[in-house]
Amino acid sequence: MRKFVLNYLIPRIGQYFLVIFLGVTLTFIIPRLSPSDPVERQVSQLMMSGSHVSPEAIIAMREALTEMYGLSGSLWEQYLAFWGRLLKGDLGPSLSSFPTPVTQLLATAMPWTFGLLMTSIIISWIVGNILGALASYYEKNVAIQIVDVVSQAVRPIPYYIMALVLLAVFAYWIPIFPFSGAYPPGTRVEFSLSFILTVIRHSLLPLFSLVLIGIGGWFIGMKSLTSNIISEDYVVYAENAGLPKNRILSQYIIRNAMLPQITGLALQIGLIFSGALIMEVVFGYPGMGTLTFQAVMANDYTLIMGITLLSIVGVATIVLILDFIYPLFDPRVRIQ
Amino acid sequence: MNRYTLSRREFLAQLGLVTAGTMLAACAAPAAPGGAGPAAAPGAAGPVTAGDREIAPGVRRSETLILENPTGKVVPADDFNRWRPGIQSASTGLQQLGLDALWYIDPDAGIDGVWDNSLAAEKPIYNEDFTQMTVKLREGIYWSDGVEFTAEDVAYTVETLKATAGMSYNGQFNKYVASVEMPDKYTVVFNLAEPNSRFHGLFTVRWSACFIMPKHIFEQQSDIVAYTFNPPVSLGPYVLKDYDPQGDWYLWERREDWQRTSLARFGMPAPKYAMYISPGPSDKKVMAQTSGELDVIHDIAPEGMITLARTNPTSKGWFKSFPWAHPDPTLPAVIYNNEKPGLDNRDIRWALTLAIDIVRVAMASYRGAATISAIHVPPTGLYPGYYFDPMQEWLNNFTLDLGGGEQYKPYDPTAPQRIADAARASLGDMVPTDPEEIRKSIGYGWWKYDLEAAEKLMLKAGCTRNSAGKWLLPSGEPFKIALMAEGDTRPIMNRGAAMIVENWAEFGIESSLDVRDNASRARLTLLGEMDAEFGWTVETWGGHPDLFFFLESWHSSFYRPTGENAVGRNRMRWKHPDLDPIIEQIQRLDFDDPKGIELGLEFIKLAATEMPITPIMSYNVFSVCDETYWEGFPTAENPYTNPVANWANTKYMYVMIKPKA
Repeated sequence: MRKFVLNYLIPRIGQYFLVIFLGVTLTFIIPRLSPSDPVERQVSQLMMSGSHVSPEAIIAMREALTEMYGLSGSLWEQYLAFWGRLLKGDLGPSLSSFPTPVTQLLATAMPWTFGLLMTSIIISWIVGNILGALASYYEKNVAIQIVDVVSQAVRPIPYYIMALVLLAVFAYWIPIFPFSGAYPPGTRVEFSLSFILTVIRHSLLPLFSLVLIGIGGWFIGMKSLTSNIISEDYVVYAENAGLPKNRILSQYIIRNAMLPQITGLALQIGLIFSGALIMEVVFGYPGMGTLTFQAVMANDYTLIMGITLLSIVGVATIVLILDFIYPLFDPRVRIQ
Repeated sequence: MNRYTLSRREFLAQLGLVTAGTMLAACAAPAAPGGAGPAAAPGAAGPVTAGDREIAPGVRRSETLILENPTGKVVPADDFNRWRPGIQSASTGLQQLGLDALWYIDPDAGIDGVWDNSLAAEKPIYNEDFTQMTVKLREGIYWSDGVEFTAEDVAYTVETLKATAGMSYNGQFNKYVASVEMPDKYTVVFNLAEPNSRFHGLFTVRWSACFIMPKHIFEQQSDIVAYTFNPPVSLGPYVLKDYDPQGDWYLWERREDWQRTSLARFGMPAPKYAMYISPGPSDKKVMAQTSGELDVIHDIAPEGMITLARTNPTSKGWFKSFPWAHPDPTLPAVIYNNEKPGLDNRDIRWALTLAIDIVRVAMASYRGAATISAIHVPPTGLYPGYYFDPMQEWLNNFTLDLGGGEQYKPYDPTAPQRIADAARASLGDMVPTDPEEIRKSIGYGWWKYDLEAAEKLMLKAGCTRNSAGKWLLPSGEPFKIALMAEGDTRPIMNRGAAMIVENWAEFGIESSLDVRDNASRARLTLLGEMDAEFGWTVETWGGHPDLFFFLESWHSSFYRPTGENAVGRNRMRWKHPDLDPIIEQIQRLDFDDPKGIELGLEFIKLAATEMPITPIMSYNVFSVCDETYWEGFPTAENPYTNPVANWANTKYMYVMIKPKA
C-alpha cells in the first residue's frame, strides 16, 4: 500500500494539479494575446448602437472601463490577482455581463447542459455500443444490417441540418414536440412534477437529435473493435464449447472491447462543460454552449477562464478517476 | 438472507419502466404554462381558438404582441440597469416599453412629426451662446409604483451618472455639465461647461438615449454600478410582468394607469401584453411566424423574407413588395484607411469606387433588396427629401479629372433600375417596375461600374500594372487590399464584402477578404490596423437632417493616426481643411436651423469629391410584421415609426396597431 501511495497515488495527484495549473495559465494568457479587447468591444458596441457619444466621452469611458474590469495593471499583476481570487473560489465578474459574477452565470447555465448532455451521452453510449457489438457479431441479421446502414448514413449529416430537419418535422409540420426552449414562456421555474414533466417534454427533441448523432460514433467504434475480437481464440473456444450466443457476446466480446469505449465516454463527459452550442441555438435550449460562444465573441476573459477551468478540472478529474478504476473494468491492468 | 427486496434485474427493469412512463407522460400531456393546464378564455364555452389560447398563465395570445429580441438569450437575465454599459437586456422591452426619455426623433416620418416631446413638455430651450439648456417637463407623469416623475429624477440622473465612473454618459456629463438647477418641480436647467448646441442629443432617442432614472429607487442603493434594477420600475406604459431566468423571453403588461405615461397622448396601447422572445436563427423565425408564434421579426436573412413573402400572406415588410426591408439610417460603406499607401490618394480611392459593380454587390448581399446610396448619408427616413433630391443635379454634373485633361461624369442614375432588372430574374413580379417606386425603394443612383475610367485614374495616380496584370503602387510595390468584414454575425455584410473583393480582383487589385470576429474587428479598425473595412461610420437621425450626430468626431481635433485608437467615428483617418469649418458651423447653429441642411450638402459634395469612404447602401433590416393577430404596423406607406423591434422608438407602434378583427 505504501508503495502504491508513494510511487503512484501521490505522483498521479501531483500530475493532476500540474495539468490544471498549466491549463489555467494557458487559458489566462491565450485570450490576452488576441487582437480583440473587451473594453474596446463595449465602447464600439455603444457606438454601433446608435447612441450619440461624444469623442471625449469615448476616451473617458475607455479609461473607466479598463479600471472597472480590473485590466489596468500589467499582465503579471493581473495573473497574480487572478490566482488570488481563484484560490478563494472567486472567478471574478464577467466582463460582458458586468458585474455579474462568473460563478452565477455558470450556475445558471450548467444544470441544463449537464442534464441534457449527460443523458444523451449515456443513452447514445449504451445503445451505440450494444448495436455496434450486435452488428459485428450478427452481421447477417437483416434488422441489424438496417441499423448499420442507418447509422452510417446519419453519422456524416451535419448536426445543424439534422437538428433543423427534426425540428421542422416534429415541431412544425407534425407538431408533437414543442418548438423552442426548455419550458414554455410564462412558466414558473420550480421543483414540481408538472414543471419536471414540462422540461422533459421540451428536452426530448434536442435529446433525440444528440442521441441520433452520438449513436453513430459509438456504433462504428464498437463495431470495429468487436470485429477483431470475434476471431480471437477464446471466442472461438466459447462457441465450440456451445455457450449461449448472448453470453459470448456480453461476457467475451463486449467486455473485452469496452476499455477504449470507457475512456472515450470519460473524455466525452469531460467535454460537457463547454456545452453544445448548435443544439442550444436550434432548439433555443439554455446551457453552456451559448455562454461559451458569447464569452469568446466578447473576449470576456473572466468568463472564458471560468468555463475553461470547469472543463479542465472536469476532464482531468474524470481521467484521474478513470485511472484509479481501470482495474475494476479490466483485471489485467495492474499498478507496477 | 437476501438484503435486497429486488434483484438487480428487477430493479433495472422497474427503473426502465419508470423512466419510460415519465417520458410518455411528458409527451402525452403538453403542460400549459405554469403547469396550470389548458385554459379556455374566461367565459368562453366553445372550443379554444388559436387567439384564445394562453401563452402564459392568464395571458391570451390575442391580447399579446410577440416580438423578436435580436439580442438573443440575455445573460444575465435579471439585470435591468440600463445605465451601465454592456447591459444585454436593453431590447427586451426595457427601453421600448419600460423607460422613457425627454425627446424622441423618429427615423421615419414620426407619429406626429419627426420630433416628439416625450417626458419634456417642449423642445429644449438654449440661451444665446448655448451654455445653458432649460427643460420644461410634462406634469402628471408617474412611475409604475405611483411616485410622480419630476425634475428631481432628471437632475438625479445627470448628477449620478456624472459622479459615477464606469456608468454610461459619465464622460459626456463630466465634459459638458457644470451644474444642474431645479427652479421648480417641472423645470431643469443645465449650466454647460462649454457651448454645446447639441447637448439635448444625449437625451433624444434615436434607437436609444439617456433614459431617466427613478431617483426614489436608485438613491437607496449603495452601489449603483452593481445594482440590477430588478424589478424595473417603469416610466413607460408597460410594466414587467415576468421573465425567463434563462433570458429567452420577457413579458410586459400594460399598466393600469397607462394614462399617467407620456405615450397616453396618442391613446391607449392596444396590446394588453407584449412579449419579447429570442426565436433563434432565420429558419426558426420563418417557422415561428407562419405558425402564429411571432408577430414582429426584427430582422431575417433575405432568403427568409422571400420565403415569408411567398408562403405567408399575412407577413408584411416595410415595402409591400420587393425589397420589403426597412432602410435603417445607417450607411454601410467601404471604409478605407486613408493613411495607407495608395489609399491616401483620392484618385485611387475613386478608381476603387468605379471598380465596384453595385448591381453585383446588391445581388450578393441582399439578393437585390438593397437601398443604394452614392452619397455619404443613408437614403432613409426623410433624407431623400433633405439631401438626395437637392443633390441630383450636382451629381449629374459632377466630373472627375481622369488625367490628360479628360473630364468624366461618374454618376449613374440607372443603377437602381439595373438592380431591379437583375432581381426580377429570380423574383419575377414581386419586383416593382414603376421607376418612381424603384427610386424610392432601391435608391436614386450610384457610381458607374467603369473599369476603363478606373484604369485611367490609377495611371494618373502613378500606378502601373505588372506582367501578370496586377496593379503596382507608384513605389513599385504590389497594391494589396485586405477588406475586413464581419462573418456569420451579419451575412449581408460578409456577402457584400466578398463581392467587392471579387470586383477589385477582376480589376487587377490583389484584394482579399479578411473576416474577423466582432471583438477583433472593433479593436483592429479602431487602431487602423486595416487596409479597408466594410462597415459603417455614418449614422444619422433618419428623420432629422442634422449631421452633427456622426460628423462631430470627423473634426481634425479628434484625428488619431494609425496605431492609436480612433476617437469616435473617424476610423478612416481622414481630415480635410474644408471639413472642419463645415463641422464648426453646424455646431454653432441651432439644431433646427435650416442652414444645417445647406452645410450638410456642402459636406456631401466634399465627401463625394474626396471619397474618403465609398458609400454603398443603407443597412436594410428585414423587419417583418405578421397581421394574423394585429394590424396597422408601420410601413413605407404609413411611416409613423420604425418597425425594427429593438429601437426604443417602436413604442409608438403600440398605440397605432389594432387587434385584427
